[in-house]
Amino acid sequence: MTRPLTLSIVVAAAALSLAACGEKEETSTAQAQAPSSTECGRVTVASMNWQSAEVLAQIDRLILTEGYGCEVEIVPGDTMPTLTSMMEKGQPDVAPEAWINAVRQPLDAAVAEGKLHYAAESLQDGGVEGWWIPQYVADANPGIKTIDDALQHPELFPAQESRGKGAVHNCPSGWNCQITTGNAFKAWGAAEKNFVLVDTGSAAGLDGSIARAYERKQGWLGYYWAPTSILGKYQMVKLDAGVPHDQEAWETCNSKTECDNPTKNDWARAEVYTVVTDRFKTAGGPAYDYLSRRSWGNDTVNQLLAWMSDSQATGEDGARHFLKNNAQVWTGWVTPEVAQKIQSTL
Amino acid sequence: MSWLQEFPALGADQLSALRRAVDGSFRQFTRDHGDTLERMFDPLRDFLLISERLLTQSPWPVVMGGIVFIVWLASRSWKIATGTLITLALIGYFGMWDDTMKTISMIFVCTVVALVVGLPIGIVISRSDRLQRIVNPVLDVMQTMPSFVYLIPVVMLLGIGRVPGLIAVVIYAIPPVIRFTNLGIRLVDKDLLEAADAFGASVWQKMRQVQLPLALPTIMAGVNQTIMLSLAMVVIASMIGVQGLGQPVLRAISNQYFTMGMLNGLAIVGIAIVFDRASQAYGKRLQKHLEVQHG
Repeated sequence: MTRPLTLSIVVAAAALSLAACGEKEETSTAQAQAPSSTECGRVTVASMNWQSAEVLAQIDRLILTEGYGCEVEIVPGDTMPTLTSMMEKGQPDVAPEAWINAVRQPLDAAVAEGKLHYAAESLQDGGVEGWWIPQYVADANPGIKTIDDALQHPELFPAQESRGKGAVHNCPSGWNCQITTGNAFKAWGAAEKNFVLVDTGSAAGLDGSIARAYERKQGWLGYYWAPTSILGKYQMVKLDAGVPHDQEAWETCNSKTECDNPTKNDWARAEVYTVVTDRFKTAGGPAYDYLSRRSWGNDTVNQLLAWMSDSQATGEDGARHFLKNNAQVWTGWVTPEVAQKIQSTL
Repeated sequence: MSWLQEFPALGADQLSALRRAVDGSFRQFTRDHGDTLERMFDPLRDFLLISERLLTQSPWPVVMGGIVFIVWLASRSWKIATGTLITLALIGYFGMWDDTMKTISMIFVCTVVALVVGLPIGIVISRSDRLQRIVNPVLDVMQTMPSFVYLIPVVMLLGIGRVPGLIAVVIYAIPPVIRFTNLGIRLVDKDLLEAADAFGASVWQKMRQVQLPLALPTIMAGVNQTIMLSLAMVVIASMIGVQGLGQPVLRAISNQYFTMGMLNGLAIVGIAIVFDRASQAYGKRLQKHLEVQHG
């Protein structure tokens, strides 16, 4: 019995001394780096499970940590679960890229109550949704400009599991766009024009179907949204709806499952905001000022996302790349002193 | 001391070059051979579509009666048959009939494919220790590899829908058939084989008339496990566009529709129990029958 015991003591002692070495090094660098760490405290930032939100969360993490001395924890999330949790539990503190169109009513109520706050509009241009076709299909068929045009040609967008029919690829199951796309499919009478609505199941399934079509230069028609790396990687053309957005019809019918006679209706430009809890707004101080100014355009995002997929970068790699190469964009979000502090760590 | 604290890993540049090279060659492969591969799977797709059409487009009393009758044939138990009837009635009453039929059709085809592919592999590896040593780690990989890792390449090759879903389910659910067939044949009494040899049975005769019949109860246990595992994969398969009970579950998960998720989840559990009890009862009947013969 004694041998394993002494062995374990030796191992523990060795581990402790190693850990102590590491700690010493860390504290010394921390002292050198942070002469004036403001009290910002612990912040939880939601990293949504799509690329643009992930990289924005990482940028927030880097800037809040290096520039404002916050202790940032990234928590994975998704629009509905994260915003619900923020409304009900006040956790996480920050949702950097919340697509609020689908949750507007409860969210506005929570903002009126003072539980949550809208900070900056994360995407200046907003999110764009609609039906898209690959660039090469649009080039080969210059006549296809609108959804109606595309629906005249089921043979260009063949469905895999129903011979002789065209396919409209639907948005992933459970997303709000699954309902709006389903209603658009009805409104444009696509079924009578020999099309079927294909369930893609998940974002991975939807992306996979685009990648498959693109690699083989086959036709593809379906729902997608920008800014996304897929649209940075595979050039796609958005089809014109041919009608304006009708907010009232949208709210009463197009975005509802129980909508018997949907009319043609364009997707609204999606508003994408940074949502912050009341706790962080009061406790964050200057860190909150940063979040109320941080906002970027779709061009910047598309470029960054395309770089990320080209080099298979993680969200953190992308964030560092952005901070290194796009100083003109982000230095406007922070004070010059903070900018200097961040630049010194890159 | 730095080499102690940091693992001597491949540099970030080499690593990303490696990843890009592998991804690039895979893309090239899909571009060159995707269409051919897709066409190879056409018969399977037609089988899936026919079986689904049969279950969803026949009048529901016929389908319900058929399923209850098959369950009764397998189990010869009124209790299990009545339980099946009640389960199906409840599923239909709560508006999940179509989705459930699509799932049952998928599970049926998956089980058939798993049997057709798995039984011969099990028989072959029961005859060779070396093959068994090679196949076993492969089966381990199939059961533990997170499904999305191979789902995405499969989607790029074959698109979304039933066929890639079926491949994912079969990869996950086939190992029990192979393992239990192998085990069942290996567990057959050596004395019986000697007796068969004494009667001058050929290898094929021994396999067909002695080993397989005696291994059947064990093989049935494997089939039972395969059905259970395919049902467990229903939700994953729906993430690449397989229709059925998985779709409403996904919808419920991302919208916090508690009741909807629960109902569809319970429907999956319901058909799992039906299949489980029926196939187990069938396996037990086989055993009883054999025991009587021995005694």
